[in-house]
Amino acid sequence: MKPIRVLVANRPRVIRELMVAAIADQPDIEVVGEVDDESGIVRAVDETRPDFLIVALDRHDALPRFCQPILQAYPQLKIIAIAPDRNTSVFYWASLQVESNPIEASETGVLNALRSIRQSGMRVQ
Amino acid sequence: MDSRTKVLIRCRNRLLAQLIHRMLSKRTEFDAVALEGQFGPMDCGHSPARSVVVLDSLDFFLERSKADSSRGSDAGAVKYLLIAMEDDHGDFLAAVRCGVLGYVLQDASAADILAAVRAVAAGQATCPPGYMAVLFNYIAGRSDKSRKGRGRGQWGLTRREQQVIPLIGRGLTNKEIAAHFNLSERTVKNHIHRILKKVGASDRLDLYEVWQNRAAPTGGTMAN
Repeated sequence: MKPIRVLVANRPRVIRELMVAAIADQPDIEVVGEVDDESGIVRAVDETRPDFLIVALDRHDALPRFCQPILQAYPQLKIIAIAPDRNTSVFYWASLQVESNPIEASETGVLNALRSIRQSGMRVQ
Repeated sequence: MDSRTKVLIRCRNRLLAQLIHRMLSKRTEFDAVALEGQFGPMDCGHSPARSVVVLDSLDFFLERSKADSSRGSDAGAVKYLLIAMEDDHGDFLAAVRCGVLGYVLQDASAADILAAVRAVAAGQATCPPGYMAVLFNYIAGRSDKSRKGRGRGQWGLTRREQQVIPLIGRGLTNKEIAAHFNLSERTVKNHIHRILKKVGASDRLDLYEVWQNRAAPTGGTMAN
């Protein structure tokens, strides 16, 4: 089975770097890129065509502004948004419109989400 | 005997705590433990002199000051490292006053944090290079204010205003101070506004430092 391809673009830098290291330890998940500037996310998605994009979640009640156009352009992409300063994360995907679901904001939570979303389709509970 | 450095990771951000734990656990020099739950004095289960506590918030020290009176303090026994902190000079100075030995900002790299853990474990203080100037300026400014304060003599603080200042120094919020004295938050806000004006301090941190430098055992002059 092909590895799960992940583009890591969340903040702060330390969590992004450690997330990359944690994913690198997983035999079934591959980091296809790391982005340190939000303005470079769209181009990186276009170049790497990941299965998942991990970004920062600044407001829990709002989709990160660059997500909607990315999901419209790449409807197969799934986005996991992690709050930099709270124990909160949200999973976004596109169907007829962008939908979202909370996931556990922990290392296990994020890694399990990558696997279960890829295996089962969309929703995680 | 275990020669590894015990690292207790007590971060409010669970993901950060787990990822730091993963990083440190790969190094044989560390015995890393990720802790969850309420803050408070900690049983290091290890030689305290070789223990480092990693935190991502100053809140721990507020909780500790509340708990110390009944449960005893671990102050001075373990070394504290604050990570993923916002670029705020006030927080940095407050952290130094709380006894923190290491201070790392949000934009630091994983390698920076690893280096900071090692430095703090070795008993060295560490902070971003730019923050050294903050410390120097602060100490210089404090000396000036201390001299002026002694020369000026009286601020005319009321008894209540004098009672409020130590709580400000402990990092309590207006709401917590209000609860302590059974006052409204607005009243506390007014007290603090008047204290800052009388003392000539620019903010709460500045106020407490001026107060500490000036305070006589009776706590200054009252004007009831």
